[in-house]
Amino acid sequence: MDYIYSVVILVGLSIILASSFNLSIGYGGLISIAHPVFYAIGAYASALLSRDAGVPVVVSIFVGALVALVASVMVALPSLRVSGDYLMIASIGFQLGVLELIKNVNWTGGAGGLTNIPAFIAPTFGREAYVLLVLIAAALTILIIYGIAHGPIGRAMSAMRDDELAFMALGRNATSLKVGIFALGSGIAGFAGALYAHYFRYLTPEQFDILQSSALLTMVVVGGIRTAWGPVIGAVVLQVLPQAIAFLDLPTSFLGPLQGLLFTGLVLIFMFVRPQGLVSAGAVWRPLRRSGAA
Amino acid sequence: MKTITRRSALATGLAATASLAAGTARAQETFRFGLAMPLSGSQALYGADQVKAAEWAVAAINAAGGVNGKKLEMISLDTQGDPQLGIKAVTRLASVEKVPALILAWSAVVKATAPIMNDNKVLGLSVGANSADVAKLGDYVYTTYPLADVDIAALARYTASTMAKKKAALVFINNESGIVAAQVYRDVFTKAGGQVVAYEAYDPKATDWTGSILKVRASNPDVIHVQGVVGDIPQVIAQMRQLGLQQVVSSYSAIYNPKFIEQLGKGAEGVIATSLAPGADDDPAVKTYIERWKKEVGREPNGLPYTQYLYDAAYVVAAIFKSLDDKKLPLTGENFRKELIGIKTFDLPLTGQLVVNENHTVSKPVILMEVKDGKWTKKAVVS
Amino acid sequence: MLDPAIIGQILWSSFANSSYFVLFALAFALVLKVNGVFNFAQGGVMTAAFYAAYTIVGTAKGPGWLGFIGGLAAAVVLGIAIEVTGFRNLRLRRASPLFVFIFTLVLTELIAYIAMLIFGTWPTTIFPSLYWPVTLVGGIAISEWDVPAVLSAATACIALFLFLRFTRSGQCMIAVADNSELAELYGIERNAIYVHTMAVAGLMVGLGMFLFGARAQVQPSTSIELMLFAVVASIAGGIGNLWGAALTAVVLGIIQNGSVLVLPSEWQGLLLYIFLFVAIIFFPSGIKLPTRKLKVSRRATELDGESQET
Repeated sequence: MDYIYSVVILVGLSIILASSFNLSIGYGGLISIAHPVFYAIGAYASALLSRDAGVPVVVSIFVGALVALVASVMVALPSLRVSGDYLMIASIGFQLGVLELIKNVNWTGGAGGLTNIPAFIAPTFGREAYVLLVLIAAALTILIIYGIAHGPIGRAMSAMRDDELAFMALGRNATSLKVGIFALGSGIAGFAGALYAHYFRYLTPEQFDILQSSALLTMVVVGGIRTAWGPVIGAVVLQVLPQAIAFLDLPTSFLGPLQGLLFTGLVLIFMFVRPQGLVSAGAVWRPLRRSGAA
Repeated sequence: MKTITRRSALATGLAATASLAAGTARAQETFRFGLAMPLSGSQALYGADQVKAAEWAVAAINAAGGVNGKKLEMISLDTQGDPQLGIKAVTRLASVEKVPALILAWSAVVKATAPIMNDNKVLGLSVGANSADVAKLGDYVYTTYPLADVDIAALARYTASTMAKKKAALVFINNESGIVAAQVYRDVFTKAGGQVVAYEAYDPKATDWTGSILKVRASNPDVIHVQGVVGDIPQVIAQMRQLGLQQVVSSYSAIYNPKFIEQLGKGAEGVIATSLAPGADDDPAVKTYIERWKKEVGREPNGLPYTQYLYDAAYVVAAIFKSLDDKKLPLTGENFRKELIGIKTFDLPLTGQLVVNENHTVSKPVILMEVKDGKWTKKAVVS
Repeated sequence: MLDPAIIGQILWSSFANSSYFVLFALAFALVLKVNGVFNFAQGGVMTAAFYAAYTIVGTAKGPGWLGFIGGLAAAVVLGIAIEVTGFRNLRLRRASPLFVFIFTLVLTELIAYIAMLIFGTWPTTIFPSLYWPVTLVGGIAISEWDVPAVLSAATACIALFLFLRFTRSGQCMIAVADNSELAELYGIERNAIYVHTMAVAGLMVGLGMFLFGARAQVQPSTSIELMLFAVVASIAGGIGNLWGAALTAVVLGIIQNGSVLVLPSEWQGLLLYIFLFVAIIFFPSGIKLPTRKLKVSRRATELDGESQET
């Protein structure tokens, strides 16, 4: 049972991460791959606050999300002033730089990792309660993003993606919209990070590197960018598929690289055969119910 | 739609468990234990060879009649040396396969999975992770491989006292094992009366160590200890020799392989490496083992000593199974742990005698190897 | 610590060791400039180039020069293949930059897994030994690898410069880089030029990996780490600025090595990212290099076809 709980929690967290990532890169059109670093910042901030500063876990989780949000603003604001391309490189640099910092500093546990993170809910209410918590968080995330995407902000983002110049000519502030979306997505990622930290209670910087970014990107793109369900499907498939391949019982010396090969090969084939993703994005504008005859 | 997503996740999990349950039904006739190692990913170069060694041991035990007539069965899962995958693997072994004990390696994995093993009362035998923290991870985490303080400490003591070196320079990779080993060396060397004159960390991604090496050169040491990984130590030492450092260089078991001498040529003369396992020249069993590798795989195993310990770990597990079966005790993790401490001393085929201490450490003599006339020769044995 | 011999050594060794980084940065910057793609798949091409050379020299015990040609060939062929089957396809579908980016990342991982399957993950060098004897010149150790490396990298840079300036293909590349639609109006076939660019980049990558593999060990995952440096140099040097990228690669190497004299050595790794950040925030258009002044032709052509000197 514990095994299933871990898998479900990891899937749930992946759903939160992929959906919030989709918010920045899908809906917002921002090219950043540094999502895992905000996951990391939320996780480390919450863990350190609750472990070393005695902050109650309920509070530290939200503070962790807030720290991630603020960090994301600090990255996005200067880079977006330059250009969107620069955000991509700045975000890679930020991600690797923060991870390097974590590895070098003692109070984060350094490269060896942060242990003894206080548990939350599970000791008192059982693991099932934590699973429920994560699933509720995932559901809320999907709802929030769906709401945003199909509301006025979503229309604004779509307009901005279509023609940024026209958007600005209409008096809208593209940069603040982008930073706002980026901040929201990163804050949600930080929240997910804190949830991760207090269940698995051990963090290492390696878990948050470029490979994680690549995995998240794949979830969003394979699932279907700019849809509410795409990242969900992507997250589930990409978490469960490697486990399924592991069940195939291949000889151990082959298993490793072969699994990676199958996986990346599958993703590549997928990208060329069905680039819109498993769930394709519909138009933002829905035709009015009263579709007019003349 | 949300419920379908949740349900589909659970459904997949349940289907997986069902298939496993079918598998475990027939497991009553075998003694089952787990193995969580990197089978893929960047660590697989060591992990896959270690798993192979363990598989050979299990096959050998079974060919010789098994444990009290019953077969030993090892369930291997991939961790990629990654804590998250390690958690998945160990959770599966503990709660789905319900093994009483498992063998695992890689410090990050051991640390991340310690809570699972402690909570589920499954004995975890760490084989190869050498971080000193491994001894402090809880009741159910034991190591059958000497931790960092054993070989590095022995080397530092030997260098300070027997080799009478007064000034040491340390060059180490800036990751957990490098930092811990450097600290151990520094503490032991200074306690034995020496002085550490340079203490240079280098980035794991570095390909050019000129700056650090020049700093070391300026500090005028009698001996230099390099604690890196197999992928960079030869380059570091090569650059040292090129920049005029002719002092004795020491390192640890990562360089104790014939390729090292091939790569450095004359620059390898006099380099000292620690080894925690007997070599081909010390033990005919090891010689046969290496020959088998060359015949079946076409090369020597990567990280030879680690594979020896993995091979022997299966024998440790078998010995505990036998003891529990003889005493007709239930095969729980709790009993496994008690028997491990109870038996305490194991005579193992490829690494000799192992003494498991109750404080979760093991003590082993450290062998110091030196490159002489282009070959690795035994220099000393330090306990 | 700051005596001239040490500074001189740091300058020389960093300069020599930046030879392969310059080549990687140039290759990356060229593809970025002309094809407009952040070609992270270059990592995969680097892996292929190394293992091709390794197979010829290390496994098949062939001569060094054959391994060199093999590495070049592998890099060029793979680069062209990626352009023709990958990038061209994605361009036709008007794929977003994000999509292309994921494609390059996943492709690099795929190639790394293939390399792992075939060659295992044990670190290897092209030649059996990675030790190159040194001679002391004025107190500075110069190894037998250093000089050929510097010379070949310099030759490659000069060759690239001449190629871009004086050959038709090179000039077309510059035209496409400036304004690809306009270039097409002038009859330049864009797709062909993109292929040429990947081929030229492949040549540089092949040379760079051969140099690297002659003095350091390589595993399937090494190229990804090397790429990081190349990417930082290209960005900090200014997107579209080839020689800025090359210069930045050299300067970065010197700074990284020299930094241990003033900073604790653990922070070396962080320097790269700080450099990147500073470059992006304060020098968004990159290093300003003197641009060639275009001279107006002084020969006027008469309307009736005769040319006159003015």
